[in-house]
Amino acid sequence: MKTNVKRMSGCVATANAVKLANVDVICSYPIRPYTGIMSELARMVADGELDAEFVLGEGEHGQLSVVYGASAAGARAFTGSSGVGVTYAMEVYSPISGERLPLQMAIADRTLDPPGDFGSEHTDALCCRDQGWIQGWAASPQEALDMTLLYYRIGEDPRVLLPQYACQDGYFVSHILGEVDVPTQEQVNEFLPPYKNHHVLDTRDPQIIGAQMEPEMGPGTQYQRHLAVENTYKVFEEVHDEFGKIFGRQYDPWLEEYMTEDAEIVFFLQGAHAVTAKNVVKHLRNLGEKVGVVRLRTFRPFPTKQVRECLKRFKVVGVVDNSVNFGISCGSGVLLTEARAALYNNDEKVKTIGFVAGLGGSMITQNEFYQMFTILKNINKTGKVEKESYWVPFEL
Amino acid sequence: MIKKDLFAEPGLKQITVWGRGVYENKEARDVVVSLTEAAALEGKYVQAWENYVDLPDRIYVPVRAYGKISSNPIESKYVYENEAPDIVVLTEETLVKGVDILAGIKPNATLIINSKRAPEYLFKFIKSNTENLAKIVTIDANNLSTSVITLSGAEGATDASGIGKGIGAPLAAAIVKATGIVSFNNLLDIIVNKSAARKAYDQAIIANVHDLIKTYA
Amino acid sequence: MAIAYEKIPFAGTVKSPQKENEGMITGNWRTRRPILDAEKCMECQLCWISCPDSCVNLMTETSPITFNLKYCKGCGLCAEMCPVGAISLVPELDFEE
Repeated sequence: MKTNVKRMSGCVATANAVKLANVDVICSYPIRPYTGIMSELARMVADGELDAEFVLGEGEHGQLSVVYGASAAGARAFTGSSGVGVTYAMEVYSPISGERLPLQMAIADRTLDPPGDFGSEHTDALCCRDQGWIQGWAASPQEALDMTLLYYRIGEDPRVLLPQYACQDGYFVSHILGEVDVPTQEQVNEFLPPYKNHHVLDTRDPQIIGAQMEPEMGPGTQYQRHLAVENTYKVFEEVHDEFGKIFGRQYDPWLEEYMTEDAEIVFFLQGAHAVTAKNVVKHLRNLGEKVGVVRLRTFRPFPTKQVRECLKRFKVVGVVDNSVNFGISCGSGVLLTEARAALYNNDEKVKTIGFVAGLGGSMITQNEFYQMFTILKNINKTGKVEKESYWVPFEL
Repeated sequence: MIKKDLFAEPGLKQITVWGRGVYENKEARDVVVSLTEAAALEGKYVQAWENYVDLPDRIYVPVRAYGKISSNPIESKYVYENEAPDIVVLTEETLVKGVDILAGIKPNATLIINSKRAPEYLFKFIKSNTENLAKIVTIDANNLSTSVITLSGAEGATDASGIGKGIGAPLAAAIVKATGIVSFNNLLDIIVNKSAARKAYDQAIIANVHDLIKTYA
Repeated sequence: MAIAYEKIPFAGTVKSPQKENEGMITGNWRTRRPILDAEKCMECQLCWISCPDSCVNLMTETSPITFNLKYCKGCGLCAEMCPVGAISLVPELDFEE
């Protein structure tokens, strides 16, 4: 169903998705690399292609507060940030999630200070992983566009009503061009109905959203949200099937596997570096090695069951973390800890090794993947694990 | 430790365009975008991007834009710079002096400069990395068109002023004449300022570096 | 690729430059070079004050004003400010060094 294939970067793809989703309120504040999205949206609003309120926030905290109010008033809202901007707005994430306002925030990753350089690290978005938002990483501009539409649909479903982080690697996805099939407005209208919520700020029917409560109401409030997150798994699967029927692109909601049919060693990672991993695996398969790649598409809610069922088929799993999580259990990164927790109840122990790579936005080179593979192959052969976590490239 | 040619990419051509901040931001981008879009019309796999670290909003700072054209899917998509360019383009002539423009060039590389000075005079200023340079091409693009100064199109957004409106068009045409990297008709389909491109295709001067060295050695 | 971690300054802290910033040499930003016509110069030093990069050297007993070509960006403010037009901007490629 190829309708309209163009070459564009992840930023422009996200902006096109926001236009197709007919967003009502956009709040912007410049920070590289996500600022390309707002630059394109500003042009669209100015040229009359998109009818939306384009508000200039006074900072990232202001941005999130503006879309918080807009969503509470019944508008479909969109905002975004990168790097330290994401952590600046930290206060507002929990209220938005707790008050069940399904707005969307596009995060194009950038390192936190230090080093503060423009390159991509997942740390900024991972800092917010416990706030009760839906979160996942896109690995290509096409996926960034599709993710925006999917997340609005999932987040606004009455069984879910949770906000979403649509994350993409800064520069690797946000600035590098990829082929994108832009859907038509009719297809999107069929897929994404208008936004409706249980509660809306309206002077004709006054209500208080997010009132302060007494301690004995605490557990129930949080449990309600927990049940919503549990509902999200089912909604993810239904919506992805619907997406496949309307747009012709069927994504597995949780994992993307590449050459894993008879693999003994796999790389487990999320985000753009999976593309480099796939290239390396293709070359290694030509040399006869049994190796594959498993890319995690959705990070929150974490698909524990699906990850366990998938990773237990392999002997050695190299988990590549693209973030810094100093002092975390198992000494590597978030993905290693979560993968190990998912595999805990498995009868057989799958060997998982953590690699912290691609920090500061540096590309994980094909050579580095090859060296990681050599370590994993050695472990597979000897069965002995001397070191569980490696910081690439210093400890390879 | 690894087979050196395991990840090699034959059939990949890399283009590096140098410009000066604010004045030639759009022009440098136009050169790579027009060449890569024209190559895409011919079924090639392409990438076009700008250097991520250059901070191009400072007037006169040297900035770079990059392009990749290949007959196979491009594997080294995520590199930040072109490590081995086949074609180096200078949108402003003074860049030959004091800037290492030819770092890492591949054998039989071509250098195109927007200048009305003679190629032999410009060649004298390049102090390093000239071993692999095969051709120098000059074209007086400022005479054929004026450089467009705009922020539209920065950070990958859609360029509202049109691709190849300013001096990017004659420069791209000179590149096509010297290297044949895309067909000239495909290039004309992409750019806006077609008359400047046609004139540049006739007026570009191509000099062989080997001959220059022999004459002036 | 990644720089060896021992070579990176502690916590990313670096000393501030005292006389000149060797880490950011901007002479190659220049497309036009300022040239002084000493006959016309009336020694008012307005050029020295107006250079935003402090690249004009004060005149001395033995020499007229000179320009710090290692850092001069060729912005032309000195030529604009000169009341007698003693400074002219010449294309940089006219000079072979």
